[in-house]
Amino acid sequence: MKADMTVDAKGLSCPMPIVRAKKSIDSLNTGEIMELITTDPGSVKDFQSWVKQTKHELLEHKEEDGVYTFYVRKG
Amino acid sequence: MEPLLSLTLPMMRTQPSHFEQGGWMNNMSIPLITAEELRQRIKDGDSILILDVRNEEDYTDWKIEGGNVESVNIPYFEFLDDENAADDRLAENTEVITVCAKGGSSQYVAEILQNKGYKVKSLEGGMKAWSQVYDDTLVFKGNRMKLFQVIRPAKGCLSYLIASNGEGTVVDPGRHIDVYLEMAQRENVQITHILDSHVHADHISGGPALSEKTGAIYYINTSDLQGNPPFSYKPLEKTNHISFGDVEVEVLALQTPGHTPGSVSFLINKKFLLSGDTIFVGGLGRPDLGGKAQEWAEMLYKTVFNQIKNLPDDVLVLPAHYADISEINEHGIVGAQLGEIRSSNQAMQTKEQKAFTEIVSSAAATETPPNFETIVAINRGEKQVDEAEATELEIGPNRCAVHHHG
Repeated sequence: MKADMTVDAKGLSCPMPIVRAKKSIDSLNTGEIMELITTDPGSVKDFQSWVKQTKHELLEHKEEDGVYTFYVRKG
Repeated sequence: MEPLLSLTLPMMRTQPSHFEQGGWMNNMSIPLITAEELRQRIKDGDSILILDVRNEEDYTDWKIEGGNVESVNIPYFEFLDDENAADDRLAENTEVITVCAKGGSSQYVAEILQNKGYKVKSLEGGMKAWSQVYDDTLVFKGNRMKLFQVIRPAKGCLSYLIASNGEGTVVDPGRHIDVYLEMAQRENVQITHILDSHVHADHISGGPALSEKTGAIYYINTSDLQGNPPFSYKPLEKTNHISFGDVEVEVLALQTPGHTPGSVSFLINKKFLLSGDTIFVGGLGRPDLGGKAQEWAEMLYKTVFNQIKNLPDDVLVLPAHYADISEINEHGIVGAQLGEIRSSNQAMQTKEQKAFTEIVSSAAATETPPNFETIVAINRGEKQVDEAEATELEIGPNRCAVHHHG
């Protein structure tokens, strides 16, 4: 999936992956897509819960060798 | 309360927070409270307001409870959009203790609250640290022995040290064996016997490690182990009597299957029934963790109506778990006389075997303890893990008791 912006939060732990994702998505235009890459398993459920309470939309998420990637469309 | 800073997003603040500088983990301005200190304050009966910033699901599963603890759950990510997210739910001038999984997000929220003028502390190490806290209480002191109950509040796990004239027996120890070594030193006893009532499914046993460290004999039921474990043990099924101390203290192994096929209870001096996970203050052990709920529930029935039947009502039942903090009595002890449990427990009054089996196995078919298959494999000696993995595996709620049994 093609993203308009990639947030690389590998190696960071809670709450930094979501803090960075929030800042980054704020700078996008509505409809644009942000990619978040994180290695913190603890932030996976939190990130999904956070997206749910915003206007943004979680398009896809996957896990590969302990690396979690999320695609979110700005709402 | 008037916020000290304008209500702007973190990146737009006039004064950059430690988060923007990337050095917030070293932020010395947020006071921390250790899990030990928090446990002591709860035990002392202090009024404590906890703001748990984990997601709702994790909070519902497992949280800090007890004493005069009031807790509020607002996930940390809600503060990203609204720094005032907690204002309606926190009283002014009350100290707030923020809690998260590992201690990072709680500091983040603590910083926001502190900037708004709240008095706040963050729990160092979060629920991970809380999961490793233990505390012991004297249950009984006689001329010949002292009996201590060790509570691990985060897991609802209970273990015991019985001290008698220089010798000590530990029952169902958790894996943080220093707890028992320190108690033994305090009570001036040498640990000589270690008893596991069964192979635990929710926490890693400290039995084999404590045995190796002290040279004490480790007892467990062979049928709960599978194959040959890498540790030495004495089989409980071949042990009717254990004595220690220079005064005779009787430890009678009662075969009480049900929770696992090899579950055993220990009757001490005919007065204390250390019941493992078979009988709890508020219910019976769940029989479904071996995938044979029906069969084990029938064994539990036989236990309740045959083996336990002849024990007098004034025997004090001291289990290996509690299911709910309401089971902790005013002395800080989880225990009840067998007579009280008999009269208040629905399943124990259900003498008709089919109905009993149905009650027990249907209530048990709920969620299993986290990682229970891996934990059982470790306790059987089939798998080894390092400290970090062990901590991760044990994080989360205890779900060993059958709930809703009244």
